[in-house]
Amino acid sequence: MPVYLAKRLLAAIPILFLVAVFIFSLAHLTPGDPAVLLAGDNATPAQVEAIRARLRLDEPLHIQFALWLADAVRLDLGTSIYSNQPVTRLIGQRVEPTFVLAAVTLCLTVAIAVPLGVIAAWRANSLLDRAIMGLAVIGFSVPVFVIGYMLIYVFAVQLRWFPVQGYKPLSDGVLTTLHSVALPSFALALVFAALIARVTRAAMLDALNQNHIRTARAKGLGTVRILIVHALKNVGVPVITVIGIGLATLIGGVVVTESVFNIPGIGRLTVDAITRRDYPVLQGVILFFSATLILVNILVDLSYAWFDPRVKG
Amino acid sequence: MRHLASMLAATLLAGLPAVAIAQDTLRLRMNGDINVLDPIATTNFTIRNASYLMYDTLFAMDAQYQVQPQMADSVTISDDGLVYVITLRDGLTFHDGAPVTAGDVVASLERWGGVDGLGRVLFSKMDSIAATDDATLTITMSEPWGLVLDALGKISSNVPVIMPARLAATPASEAVATPIGSGPYQLIQDEWVPGSIAVFEKFDDYVPRDEPVSMAAGGKVAHFDRVELTYIPDTATAIDALIVGEIDWIEEVPADMLAFFDGQDDAKPIAARQAGNSMQLVVNHLNAPFDDPLIRQALQHALEQTPFLQAAYGDATDRYLECAAVFFCDTPYASDANTDRVLNRDVDAARALLDEAGYDGTPVMLMHVGDIAVHDAYYSVLKPMLEEAGFKVEVQASDWATVATRRASKAPVAEGGWNLFFTGWGYVDQINPMTNVYVAGACEDGWFGWACSEELQQLREEFAAAATEDERVALAERMQVLTHDLVSYVPMGQAFPSQGIASNLTGFIDSPVPFFWNVRRAE
Repeated sequence: MPVYLAKRLLAAIPILFLVAVFIFSLAHLTPGDPAVLLAGDNATPAQVEAIRARLRLDEPLHIQFALWLADAVRLDLGTSIYSNQPVTRLIGQRVEPTFVLAAVTLCLTVAIAVPLGVIAAWRANSLLDRAIMGLAVIGFSVPVFVIGYMLIYVFAVQLRWFPVQGYKPLSDGVLTTLHSVALPSFALALVFAALIARVTRAAMLDALNQNHIRTARAKGLGTVRILIVHALKNVGVPVITVIGIGLATLIGGVVVTESVFNIPGIGRLTVDAITRRDYPVLQGVILFFSATLILVNILVDLSYAWFDPRVKG
Repeated sequence: MRHLASMLAATLLAGLPAVAIAQDTLRLRMNGDINVLDPIATTNFTIRNASYLMYDTLFAMDAQYQVQPQMADSVTISDDGLVYVITLRDGLTFHDGAPVTAGDVVASLERWGGVDGLGRVLFSKMDSIAATDDATLTITMSEPWGLVLDALGKISSNVPVIMPARLAATPASEAVATPIGSGPYQLIQDEWVPGSIAVFEKFDDYVPRDEPVSMAAGGKVAHFDRVELTYIPDTATAIDALIVGEIDWIEEVPADMLAFFDGQDDAKPIAARQAGNSMQLVVNHLNAPFDDPLIRQALQHALEQTPFLQAAYGDATDRYLECAAVFFCDTPYASDANTDRVLNRDVDAARALLDEAGYDGTPVMLMHVGDIAVHDAYYSVLKPMLEEAGFKVEVQASDWATVATRRASKAPVAEGGWNLFFTGWGYVDQINPMTNVYVAGACEDGWFGWACSEELQQLREEFAAAATEDERVALAERMQVLTHDLVSYVPMGQAFPSQGIASNLTGFIDSPVPFFWNVRRAE
């Protein structure tokens, strides 16, 4: 396993390099000059040129890329063109809200989706199954911002159980943090739960039709024991795959949710960097996101072996 | 995971009170994010507003638009009008504990004078600026110039704020990374999340002036121990947050969301007439077809303001007005001279002018900004109006960053140039002929659009040298006549956006720039 892990991590390096080249090219080919935006409305052309020179934006692109890459391998992602703050600091400030939001959403999602998927499979083609799957379709179809506004109206404005917006850091206490992310997490969880419930149902149905389950039934085992002990582990691989994709999406930044609930996460940082053409921040965030995505994929792959011993590195 | 889930359940069941609002904290939602705290490095209004909390200024503008001493204790002007000796107030201290010296002031003004439009003019007419001692600085002009104090007391971007000399040594194009000022509030650096929140605490060593507060001038008394400036991207969320008491103030409430406040006791919208702004249609004089003055005047005839204002501000008719005054309506230099073409849409007259000019159907290229709601609304009205008047129109949609870059191009349209774009300016930036970019007539050295008029340039010089206010009013009116004939731009009316405010706040200062000293929570 350690060898497998080392191989996967080494294989990530060329992927990250290609991502870096792609993002660098895309950012710099997009119309819009950060020096112009930085200089403001009253700047003279000479001032804009001076800014461009200071930021080395007047160098050929391959030189700019080489300079950036040389710093990046030393984990120096540069300085924001706009705020003059280190990119690593800006990312560091946004990591906690994004990861907490992702983690809480994931827990809620699994807590909602897996039991519903199991129940739907157990009662396949019944009214209950149809009701659950119908809800799943609705959950997946309604835009997350609509769910967000509804949750805010009911639980924040009317009942005043939760805050309308904002994020409280873990340093304020875990309960306070959870309280601050409850509504955005629930809004996101409803969407992801709809997807995972459907995958769980399908995988569970497949598992329930296998010989060892029929044997367990023939032996007279109880329904709960059959479902939980014998069948549930079989749904692990497909469900964990979908969870991995969902987690990557959450960490990449669910911009709409972060905006509606004012969560200062990675997604908003990315959008701000795009609108300002803040190249170092944009490149740093995408690189960070790509590295996280690769890591999540590796963890997902490793978890397969636990759910299905036939899968080995 | 089980542990986390149980904690979450406990939280949900506990039904924690939604928010515990500290009464000594003022929470403000700005229009934009606070990525930088250096009002010299950017003209962004959000940064300007935030900076007023932590920086002080040498002079400041009062409610009558008169410049008053602020950090300055006194100023003496020599009889020939060339030498200004400015003495600083006692006890001025930076947030790091260092005293404010005249050297800091000189360094700060030099940095500002390198980037600000009016500051550049001031420094171009200056022989020297120097600290005579720790408390005194001397400005020596090369010629008498009547706007020295107006420039030093200008209220809007770029505001000539004072910072330590070591920070003022930062190139003006580069934001100061660890901002330090001497204003009534100091930044808590550890709690600043650029793009999201900036937190300030009351600076105990700040000594307000004795005079009563008057806009940016007078005693800046801080009543709150802590001020939080947050950027809540979603306006509906921000209004909900105001209604439930999570925040105390919203910089701008869109007209179509005013109904959110119906039946609410704890929050209300207020009309911010002083904080008015305007949109302008900027015309490129270098490219066909608008290199022909007749076709530019046809453009004036082709448009009328009300449909644009309705598109952007809905039926909140008390929040906008038609106005073609180059220096804004209801201001000292407001005038209705030569406004007929701007205010009265006349499609037949537009077509006649196009015929007279021999318009050959050259497409008019609009740079349509899609990521700013007001701009987007304005463009939706512009195209059909132009087409009805006989213009052929081509639209290129993009984001503001692209337009802000492309507007600097003087090339023909086919090579990356442009014909028209909308932009907006705040009320306070346009009321003075020295800061209004549309009356400069500076040709290719001027602002985007590059309107060219030697007479306008001359009038601006005369305005700066004018001895009396009557003379200035007359010069400003002449500037307006020329500007509308030249069609530097087409004014698109004035708007007075609403602000949202907690009902228990008092002492809010009516001003083009929101200030947060003097504000307090009612007992």
